[in-house]
Amino acid sequence: MKRFISHEELARDSRFKRAAARGRLLESLPDEVEGVVALMEQVAPTLRKRVEGTELEKVYDELGPGYPFLTQFGALHPEDPNVDVQLKVRLHGIFVGELQALEGAGRTLWDFPEAPWEFRMNMARQCWDESRHCQVFEKLLDHVGVDVGDYPETTTLFEAACADDPTLRVAGVNRCLEGLACDAFRAMIDYAKEADDPVMEQAIDFVLADELTHVRFGSNWVKQFTRSDPDKFREAKEFQRDVERRFSIGSGRSGRDDAAIGIAREERLEAGFTEEELRELVEIADQGPSRDTLVEAAKVLRARHLARERGEPVEPMTWRPEEAAAG
Amino acid sequence: MTEPRMYPGTGADERTTFAPYSAFDIPADLRELHGRYDVEAVARRVRNFRYAEEWIMMILGGWVATVPELPVKTGLGRIIWETAEAADKLGKRLPELRCGTRSVSASEAPNEAFAAFVRAVAEPESPTLTIEKLTGVFDVFLPHLVDTWERTVAETDPIADAPTIKILEECLVDARRHIAWGREVLDTLCREPAEAERRRGRRAALEAELGACGGVTGELARDPCAAPQGELKA
Repeated sequence: MKRFISHEELARDSRFKRAAARGRLLESLPDEVEGVVALMEQVAPTLRKRVEGTELEKVYDELGPGYPFLTQFGALHPEDPNVDVQLKVRLHGIFVGELQALEGAGRTLWDFPEAPWEFRMNMARQCWDESRHCQVFEKLLDHVGVDVGDYPETTTLFEAACADDPTLRVAGVNRCLEGLACDAFRAMIDYAKEADDPVMEQAIDFVLADELTHVRFGSNWVKQFTRSDPDKFREAKEFQRDVERRFSIGSGRSGRDDAAIGIAREERLEAGFTEEELRELVEIADQGPSRDTLVEAAKVLRARHLARERGEPVEPMTWRPEEAAAG
Repeated sequence: MTEPRMYPGTGADERTTFAPYSAFDIPADLRELHGRYDVEAVARRVRNFRYAEEWIMMILGGWVATVPELPVKTGLGRIIWETAEAADKLGKRLPELRCGTRSVSASEAPNEAFAAFVRAVAEPESPTLTIEKLTGVFDVFLPHLVDTWERTVAETDPIADAPTIKILEECLVDARRHIAWGREVLDTLCREPAEAERRRGRRAALEAELGACGGVTGELARDPCAAPQGELKA
């Protein structure tokens, strides 16, 4: 068995549909409706292909290429008209994220046989925890009426976090990916409370407790691995910043009030993040477009999509960032 | 009237009145001193066992990503952790066996041929090879470890080496459960004759390799108490 595999080699059964990674388009979306519309229409054929054969196909056909902004980028509230699809997409996304976290921890055991024994013990424990999380979320999918594979899987998490260097790997998987999980689970617990769903609330609360432990593993090991190597410390920091940028995606996860997923400040502090790191994370996460911009763009995208479906002529949206910047 | 003596004195008749039970009489201790292995031999075996457990942990960790069957993928998570725990407990026994405080993460293959056997177990990579992957660990490697651990528990000094016995007994509980799980999965995956044949072929090849190298301690072939080559218990 070789060391280091690509995200394309993650094995799945026939229920799963793999979506091509989003690339880095969403990271670069401007905070302007016209810009978002122009960029999303450019990638519309790819987006349509990604959802083909999944439950999102009909969502796309109804909402057009801006569907993610209405189904994935809003905070979950029981009274929201889109809550059903939003919840299902979110839970399925978390489920495949847990699978990738399990695979990331498992590969760390195989890829770095020379790492300290205590580090490998932590990763072995993480394998068990992540496998239980997969089982928990498989049950929760059933709880809300979703089948495994109903929604496409992107392997962005594994791809972004699984570096070929143990320090970067643990920074990517344990601090960024597991940190994102803390953020997402805090938001899910809040939703479950609001929706009076004690089954979901309790199960995810246990999962969140585990994730904190995993972030703590990451905080400890990045510190230990870089103790006498300032260059490696800087490299790990830069890698972490880059991965956090990829995981933030506008108001998908940010410190703003309109974020779909906020930053789980208390949990992160308990798991070894410093105040300075949290400030930096908020700064990175807040760089994308606001929720208002995305929702407005989604409305425009839907109207243009439906007009095209009716066979009406739709002029291409032109948007030049330099003109927009010049005012 | 003289009070019954509670504490012995220095004179010949200054003895207590308590009945002279030995420490081993209540309950009766049927264990006998002396085992087949001395301290160094036990330490070597513990390093061999730790080598096996460490590699099983690593191999299963690597396979989690390349196994497409969801229950197998998630089922392996707990086995990885329990295998790591076993390696950890075995490692912590080593300093107690005069191996030095740094020996807690010491692992040792008994010979190069056993290391080659482990590499052969780890070899399958493709998502189409779940049967080959699981057969190597759950039909061959772990059952061999269970046999060897059971024999070690029976043969080592039951009183002086009780800490090793305790560790191995704990490892045995987990390993037997792991084998039962793996074989249940394999039975399901090998319902068709072609798949059953893949399992048989893989098992026979690895058992031959294991027998030839003398197993996890390297002593299988020359050990009159061990199962002879080609007759490793299933």
